[in-house]
Amino acid sequence: MSKQNRNDKRGAPPALSRRSFLSKGAAAGVGAAALTGAAATDAKAETKWDHSADVVIIGAGVAGLAAAITARDHSASVIAVEENYDIGGRGILSGGRLHLGGGNAMQQKHGIKDTPDQVYADWVRFDANSARYSDRDLVRVFADENLATYDFLVQNGVEFIDRMIGPEAASTIPRTFVTVEWHVPSELIAPGRNRNGSGLVRRLEASARKKGAQIFLRHKMTKIIREQDNSRRVIGITAMNGSNAVNIQAKKGIIIASGGHTGNVNFRRTFDPRLTEEYQQACEPWVHQGADGELAAMELGASLWATAAQTREAGAAITKTRHIGCRWGYSSLVYQPESPMFRLARATGLTVEDWQNVIFVNQNGKRFWNEVDGSYNFFAACMAWHGDKSKLNGGGPIWAVFDADGAAREKWNTKSPNVDPDGYFFSADTIAELAGKIKNPYQKQQMSGAALQETVARYNSFVAAGADTDFKKPTPLYKIEKPPFYAAWSTPILHDTLTGLRTNTNSEVMDIRGEVIQGLYCAGESQGGFAQHGLARCLTFGRVAARHAAGRTA
Amino acid sequence: MAAHTHSTAIELSEPAPAEVAAGSELMLKIKLTCAADCDLHNLPLTITSPDDTAPTAGHINESGEVTLSIPPKVGPQSFTIAFGPHETDDIRHEPCALSLTVNSIPHGTSLAVWDIPSPIVKGERFTIKVGAKSAANAELKGLEIAVFDSSDKVAARGRLRDSLWPGTSALYWDEVELIAPTEEGLSTWSVRFAAEGLALPHDGTAAEFSAMVARPPEHRLTVKVVEQKSKAPITDVQIRLGPFRGTTDPAGIAEVMMPKGTYDLHVWKTAYEAPDHSIEIRGDLSIEVEAVFVPEEDPDNAWTM
Repeated sequence: MSKQNRNDKRGAPPALSRRSFLSKGAAAGVGAAALTGAAATDAKAETKWDHSADVVIIGAGVAGLAAAITARDHSASVIAVEENYDIGGRGILSGGRLHLGGGNAMQQKHGIKDTPDQVYADWVRFDANSARYSDRDLVRVFADENLATYDFLVQNGVEFIDRMIGPEAASTIPRTFVTVEWHVPSELIAPGRNRNGSGLVRRLEASARKKGAQIFLRHKMTKIIREQDNSRRVIGITAMNGSNAVNIQAKKGIIIASGGHTGNVNFRRTFDPRLTEEYQQACEPWVHQGADGELAAMELGASLWATAAQTREAGAAITKTRHIGCRWGYSSLVYQPESPMFRLARATGLTVEDWQNVIFVNQNGKRFWNEVDGSYNFFAACMAWHGDKSKLNGGGPIWAVFDADGAAREKWNTKSPNVDPDGYFFSADTIAELAGKIKNPYQKQQMSGAALQETVARYNSFVAAGADTDFKKPTPLYKIEKPPFYAAWSTPILHDTLTGLRTNTNSEVMDIRGEVIQGLYCAGESQGGFAQHGLARCLTFGRVAARHAAGRTA
Repeated sequence: MAAHTHSTAIELSEPAPAEVAAGSELMLKIKLTCAADCDLHNLPLTITSPDDTAPTAGHINESGEVTLSIPPKVGPQSFTIAFGPHETDDIRHEPCALSLTVNSIPHGTSLAVWDIPSPIVKGERFTIKVGAKSAANAELKGLEIAVFDSSDKVAARGRLRDSLWPGTSALYWDEVELIAPTEEGLSTWSVRFAAEGLALPHDGTAAEFSAMVARPPEHRLTVKVVEQKSKAPITDVQIRLGPFRGTTDPAGIAEVMMPKGTYDLHVWKTAYEAPDHSIEIRGDLSIEVEAVFVPEEDPDNAWTM
């Protein structure tokens, strides 16, 4: 078996994930680890290349796979390195919603009239938070590439459910449709949860492999190599395969498709200093958005772009934890026991149907906002300073507190595997006792039993009176009174990366002086400038980047 | 006589806690060392407890810990942990000792109060349930709990029953009967538990609860909730008018008995929105409320071909 084939082989999840350190409560160190894990370097004439390809792609998620296929379609040889043990990135856990318009065949079938100009007009709307901060040059490219991206998906075997959804976000007409979930349960990461994005990435993977793209799994990019000192031209990368360093020459281009920065505490605080370590990243422990690509490019002088989009306070950059009592309770993602990730995730969480059934308290045992709200005002209240003199940024853990009646109304089974009693779910016979039981890596001080008891008694008085005079929760319905009592991790969880590296309209990465870094491209969530949620921008700019890179002179 | 003599030292590996519950066992991290680096791990220790009883034998376990039994009384408790002398054919290890004092404190207790009806009719009897819990999971059956009204007068007393409240680990409980005040509005009571007479010292505790006091219901309000477009009845909608409440049945109807007055009517069901209404109750009344379905696209919904 050739080395290439060994690298290419999909495997089982590692005994301890490559991110296993994260599951030990050491998230505060993530930023530092990521910062030192990826760096640019200067190539020397003596660099020994272990592999060579025209186009080298960092990451085999949605953007990376689209780039791999496109590069092959343009006759370029391709190596994609993926640090995980399997392809897919966050795309394999997504709902598979594609936001593509322009008058594509799906829209036509459903009688929806659309044009690229209308796509552009919608996504530069000044009156839509989700659109107003984007770079209009990139939006124009996206709009003009919508039809081609749709056709690309069809040509590469991606199947869609015959239904249009929307309008969504800044779009004024329906443009969203959903891919068909992958049909092989053993090749899903979150089986049984309609993670239809699996159908997108598995189909693209199959097409990419069939067309001759090489995918090196368990290869983590650690360096982008430039031609010489201070050169604005990159010529390859170094990736670590276990403890082995592998140098891969990129004769035409390197495409960063490493998937964003949301999981890198230090990096994300560039945009919002409140986002300290207690805020977990959606799709962990399957995938960690460590900003590896951004950091490696910034070592070369690359610039960030359209950073206002990250804090635009619209969409899903920060989300309410819907599956409470586990560490990663992102709204649409549950790792069932049959998931290969369950051993690391440890619990499915308790899915909240009605927020009237819980109250939220901060680490001091105090209510702080109306629980049924899910707006950015709620998130701001979660992240508010609660008087901890040793922690001025971030708001600390948020706990959902409920009682036996609340659990019964929600039909929750408060036992494992639904909850994670190792720091993320607690039960007790009394409210005061419950406070004393809460131990968690992010709970920096013991919650006062008296404080929590006072909070609950006050809230119960609001329920009795029928009005919440503290936070205006509409019609507070249920007392927290019947034992046993529960506290479930409900700290907001982070999702979208909405800013990243500056590129031009060819997806070429630009440096802080506005000059192109020759041979370096970026697509997907690591790319800044077009802050649209989801898969479509990743696919589109993956194609754009690969097409341009493949056309370069070797 | 041993050919060699080694000095020894004993010290805490980690600070002892300032306070320990009376009657509990305290695990102390201990380091026993020999100047010549001999392994003393499995050699016996002597522990002198505060009550001046005969010293007991102890040892350092595999985790480097020694167990101290804290007497079941409150206050400073002094211990001495002594080693040696210990002698073999070749080596004599000199004695050493560590003295420490820990403060023994009472165990905590806590309360829960539930099944509080609300609103309650002024001057009428009602019942609540009260549960007490010892942090040491001590048996509390037979102990008294007392309920005090807002003027700090005893409103009721109860004795904790033999059985635990279902689903709890050690919550002893009782049901007590109270009489509602004659004044309308939110009324607050305090439950107190002295936790006296237990083998281990315990601190008492208190907890407050409240209920709305209202006039007797006179009239029947019938609320039907329908979906605005389809006019289909909506079940399980929560109806609130101040302290009064009801839930719609499959026909979308909720009936609420209430006294005369003017109320703000709120309806609540996840994924539905309806404006608040102000209504005046002067007799039996039937109203219909239209709610708008505002579906939250559930990403976990099954997608079908």
